[in-house]
Amino acid sequence: MQAAAPRRGLGVGLGTLLLAALLLAAVVLGTGLGSVTIPPGEVLGALWRGVTRQALEGNDVIVWQIRLPRVVMGALVGASLSVCGGAFQGVFRNPLADPYLLGVASGSALGATVAIVAGWPRGLIPVSALLTALVAVACTLSLAREGRRFPPTRLILAGVVVGSVLSAATTALILRGEDRARQVLAYTLGDLGFSGWRDVLTVLPYAGLGCGALLLLARALDTLQLGELTARSLGVPVERLRLIAVIAASLATAGAVAYVGVIGFVGLIVPHMIRLAFGPGHRTLLPLSALLGGALLVGADLLARTTPLSQVGIVTTLLGGPFFLWLLRKERHD
Amino acid sequence: MKSILTLITLSAALSGAAGATTYPLTITDDLGRKVTLKAEPKRIVSVLPSTTETVCALGLCDRLVGVDDYSDFPQQVTKLPKVGGLYNPNIEAMVALKPDVVLVSQYGKLAEPLTQAGVTVIAVNPETYDEVFTKTALLGKILNREAQARNLVAKIKGDIARVEILTKNAVRKPTAYFEIDPTPYSIGPNSFMGVLLTKAGARNIIPASMGDFPKVDPEFIVKANPQLILGVDAKTAGARPGWSGISALKTGKVKDIPAELNTMLGRPGPRLGQALMGLAKLIHPELFR
Repeated sequence: MQAAAPRRGLGVGLGTLLLAALLLAAVVLGTGLGSVTIPPGEVLGALWRGVTRQALEGNDVIVWQIRLPRVVMGALVGASLSVCGGAFQGVFRNPLADPYLLGVASGSALGATVAIVAGWPRGLIPVSALLTALVAVACTLSLAREGRRFPPTRLILAGVVVGSVLSAATTALILRGEDRARQVLAYTLGDLGFSGWRDVLTVLPYAGLGCGALLLLARALDTLQLGELTARSLGVPVERLRLIAVIAASLATAGAVAYVGVIGFVGLIVPHMIRLAFGPGHRTLLPLSALLGGALLVGADLLARTTPLSQVGIVTTLLGGPFFLWLLRKERHD
Repeated sequence: MKSILTLITLSAALSGAAGATTYPLTITDDLGRKVTLKAEPKRIVSVLPSTTETVCALGLCDRLVGVDDYSDFPQQVTKLPKVGGLYNPNIEAMVALKPDVVLVSQYGKLAEPLTQAGVTVIAVNPETYDEVFTKTALLGKILNREAQARNLVAKIKGDIARVEILTKNAVRKPTAYFEIDPTPYSIGPNSFMGVLLTKAGARNIIPASMGDFPKVDPEFIVKANPQLILGVDAKTAGARPGWSGISALKTGKVKDIPAELNTMLGRPGPRLGQALMGLAKLIHPELFR
């Protein structure tokens, strides 16, 4: 442990640099490519004109008002989901956990669907998503509760049940709201189209607060990996830690799900990749997951925009499904 | 103009005098199945709004014994028993109506269970502009109303020709983006709605290569910079990132489609001409003053 520390330190430093570069590359590619190809020089010019508040003309509008907010939203959502996934996997010490566990994402999706079908103002969508996410988590927790404890298996089982019931309710709403059916369907498949700066700014505080809180909990999450009893004996208030983590993750997930819909598997895959490369410590796992998650989702959205796969959620699910199966197999062999 | 129309109608009426359908009749339907009708159907269930309209336009509205949830024209079909929609068909209700034939869409997978229940099922659903006419003729054959079908086709074509003559004279044909769904989906020039858009005197910004009902990348629309946007209200369009600079928004040429017109436009049936008229009035109000 002692001997490995400096080597890992270097690896993490290099990894941070690499992943930051990867995210930057994804952002640059995502801003330059699409149904209209814009050369890098023009992208830079457009960015400059936007920053210096000059008049935007021609492709500038596409770069500055359509692609860049879409790319930033992708990075924000990918980062949020990945940090939440990493935190959930740590909190419940379960490698299959992600924001879908506990019904958080399904809860957010139901709230957002209600808001969309009812035609509420856009700013209310994340609020509605957060409220239903919290109700969903409360249901899951109360179902899973055993005295003062929340045994991981019970939690996951309860999460699956709550998630399924909520998804059924969402589907029922979609079928009833015929007029907006496709809009809501596209939403449940995950879609970054029409993400504008206003949406980015609305989602930012949810992502910032939620992920920020989870990052602050990283050291406590590390201690929790030693086992609940050990963690408790080291002074970690395990139950309270879980509660705070769940609320923080709900906040970030609600923000992520509010405008772009349900984007599967990012929160599951990314923390595992980071763990494989850089080890399980949460103080590196969570921030590096944010970088890789952001890059992955921006890349997936680029694929979605330029291929007939058409929606980012479809791309991530196609990538994530096989990975999930691989993970299951690996678990069994371990 | 009027004489041409009279001629079309007259020739249609004359050719209509020839022959009635002989049963048993075997046809290949839109699911590629060979279906045999033993006799002229007297009890008809239609699960497609456009088919319902066509059946009525052929003068057989009183033979309809049940329709899907969305059939609402002509008015009298709204009183008929409802047999569900594409996603929630009520097969039991259809069987209970003891129909001689159920006219279905090729989607929705109704053919198999209904056939197993001993009900004759024929899938007829027009999708392209030309199919509106061929399928109307086919329905005429199936229902022993061939002459009426020919007249109906002539009438629809006449309605369309009347609008086309007007829009041909339009001085400016605006480039147009037609949104059928806010995610956003649009219409390609080869879809029947796309053909109507062109006939109504607009130039569709969607190229044929994108397909008939493509999901469109928003930046493509901004780049194409259409002079006219249909199917979205101005407020929604203006709130979309980057759209305020589109020519149509600058000149205020953003028009939502009124609900009734929208319904007609979505139905490849006998009201195609009326739908075209409505669309042409939206695009070229100056021609209809």
